[in-house]
Amino acid sequence: METRGPIIRFALLEKVLNLARANSLWPITFGLACCAIEMMCAAASRFDLDRFGANVFRPSPRQADLMIVTGTITKKMAPAIVTLYEQMPSPKWVIAYGNCAISGGPFVFEGQYNIIEGIDKLIPVDVYVPGCPPRPEALIEGIIKLEEKITGWRRFPVAERRW
Amino acid sequence: MVAEQLIEDIRSSRPGVEVKEVPYEQRGYWFDLSTGPEDIEEVARLFDRHGYYIEDVCCVDFKEYLQLVYHFNHWDDPRRISVRVNLSAEDPVAPSISNVYEGAGWHEREIHEFFGVHFENHPNLSYLFLHEGIDFYPLRKEKVPVPEEKKRLLSSLPVSESDDVFFVNMGPQHPSTHGVLRLILKMNGEYIERAEPVLGYLHRMQEKMAENRTYLKYLPNASRLDYVGAMSYNLCYVRAMERLCGIEVPPRAEYVRVIAVELNRIASHLLWLGTYLLDLGAFTPFLYAFDDREQILDLLEGITGSRLTYCYCRFGGLYNDVDEDFVEGVKAFLKRMWKRFKIYNDLVTGNVIFIHRTRDIGVIPKEVARRYGVTGPNLRASGVSYDLRKAEPYGAYRELGVEVAVGEKGDALDRYLVRLQEMENSLRVIERAIKELPDGPYRTEVKKLKPPEGDVYFAVEGPRGEVGIYIVSDGSTTPYRLKWRSPSFSNLTCFPEISKGVLIADAVSILGSLDLVIPEMDR
Amino acid sequence: MRGVLGDFLYVLLFFLVAVLFTIVPVVISLLIAPRSRGLKTDDIYECGMEPFGSAWIRYSVLFYLYALIFIAFDVDVLYLFPVATSYVKGGRTDEFLSLLVFLLLLVLAIAYAWGKGVFEWRREGR
Repeated sequence: METRGPIIRFALLEKVLNLARANSLWPITFGLACCAIEMMCAAASRFDLDRFGANVFRPSPRQADLMIVTGTITKKMAPAIVTLYEQMPSPKWVIAYGNCAISGGPFVFEGQYNIIEGIDKLIPVDVYVPGCPPRPEALIEGIIKLEEKITGWRRFPVAERRW
Repeated sequence: MVAEQLIEDIRSSRPGVEVKEVPYEQRGYWFDLSTGPEDIEEVARLFDRHGYYIEDVCCVDFKEYLQLVYHFNHWDDPRRISVRVNLSAEDPVAPSISNVYEGAGWHEREIHEFFGVHFENHPNLSYLFLHEGIDFYPLRKEKVPVPEEKKRLLSSLPVSESDDVFFVNMGPQHPSTHGVLRLILKMNGEYIERAEPVLGYLHRMQEKMAENRTYLKYLPNASRLDYVGAMSYNLCYVRAMERLCGIEVPPRAEYVRVIAVELNRIASHLLWLGTYLLDLGAFTPFLYAFDDREQILDLLEGITGSRLTYCYCRFGGLYNDVDEDFVEGVKAFLKRMWKRFKIYNDLVTGNVIFIHRTRDIGVIPKEVARRYGVTGPNLRASGVSYDLRKAEPYGAYRELGVEVAVGEKGDALDRYLVRLQEMENSLRVIERAIKELPDGPYRTEVKKLKPPEGDVYFAVEGPRGEVGIYIVSDGSTTPYRLKWRSPSFSNLTCFPEISKGVLIADAVSILGSLDLVIPEMDR
Repeated sequence: MRGVLGDFLYVLLFFLVAVLFTIVPVVISLLIAPRSRGLKTDDIYECGMEPFGSAWIRYSVLFYLYALIFIAFDVDVLYLFPVATSYVKGGRTDEFLSLLVFLLLLVLAIAYAWGKGVFEWRREGR
């Protein structure tokens, strides 16, 4: 997959554009397995993703710029994931949510024949959120970390360790 | 009773079939029939004539021979009957019973691709779950390669060209398929001529993993099968082992198990409500339902430690005891939840658009439900009052009892009303259980799990239907064969039948009202 | 300019703004957006799968009838725009009545189509 940067670049424009992109990430509805339920909980009333501008879930990849890979990736599903990733327009980011998307999760055993151990074997990943399934707060932390990766500064300060 | 009549008919028409009575408390079924492959179709016809429904079709690889196990059950006479057929291991061929019970068609496809059994007279024996490029039969004990002439069955799409039809993929990435289900729709304009589901996009090898893990290590897997109603799967697995090994469970543990399972059932129905109405275009009930669901998840997190995939039931009891906080929390939740039903009824049930989109959509007649093995709220909405908590009571349901919600017509509106009623019934059961919660130990110590040789079948009533597990044990600490009977798989088998000639918007409504969860189908 | 074109100056301005409104965002995004292209980027989106079968088929005639009725009423709405501007000056009853008769004739067309069942989508096809 080939990528080329924008034709006009200067620092102030980049800063403004990155701020705009980070605060309006539009995820694609890509729930595969159990972690999808936690993603739905993160989008629902208690852990609201709308406050970060990220609750506009688009079913079509042509209108989305964030792919949250939630769940186990099987060999049958792998070509579809790559197709969908390629059909997303640039700039795009990927969050690997849950243990299965990071490294195969609890389904890796001797003689396994059907899963791909980790989505980063197929597409480039920006943020990894571990857990089985991770709490919705972890997804929010993942999105804040992605925003930090895009803009360079972090929205909320990191909580101090008290122990 | 029906079972005795059936056995008389079988004995008179096919005397070669051996019939054995089996102790139910140890094995989970009442009668065990052994027959040869030439008789199985006639036996299936006799079952059909007496009104049995197909529960499960399973295959076990005993290295010298393969054994097909069919389970049948009856709505009025709920005594399970197993039928066994032994096939040779080199060239396993059996007649298909999908002309009698259409629901067995998909089970046979699954057995074909995992074990290599060839079924004669099967309408469409092609691969269901596995991806292209797989060249061995996964669930056999030794690695048996797929012979060359069978490889053409890998592709499962019969494509025919005609002027008026075109194919639409309601694909794995779709907001309304509730997971990674792919439907290939053969459309004529706006009407569906044929809907062909393609599964296997989330096949996580749960049954093969069971043969690689000890019984204790397999506990997390059981709840990841159906993550929305994980408590039922957990309970089913643990109770099956307790039945096999003869472990007694203290009454306090039974009552708490019932409370946890019913709370999980309410959470599962709330999630279904939210996502079904989201499919139909209503965003507000989704938010209300998830708010209620979060209350339940808080309660369950306090005792189990996880929000979604529970391992709370352990062999012999529970993981840890419940404390006063939990009991007080449940009482507060009950008081709150009773008032919320008014919101749902005001918002949704009387809504003209909702009624127009669900009335007379996707009617499942009783005969179709019987031959496809549909269970759960889908079956009860068609007018059949069959609930495993009442028909084959287990655990504390024997003392508590449960009210069964029954519909009339079997359309999507009835399925919605039945599930709402089931939520209320679950609240009543929890009230009774909290009031009568006995004191005592919460667990019997199980030093080492040593199951005897043999097989066991256990079924519970999950939020989607009958969750069954069939375990074959050879005396060691890992299962020899573990087969899940998942309700969503059997419920989806009737979808091609009931969606002939409907508008595609109605197909979305039907699919949502069946309440499918894909990982328990794909296992 | 004003003498030659008269009031049509405003129309020309409107036309120029409309054209710029469509072209400028496209040009901006061509200049400042990054581009990426993979093997499947230009394929038709079909939920991640390869589309198969042909898309050149015969469609139901109901779609054509819907489009026809839409076009007719779109042109009708176009006629109502100058009426809306001239209403400021007038306001006499016979103007209003003539407009009402015009609309009534169009409503008759809708009523005929409704009665003929053009707007009905049968639930079951086969």
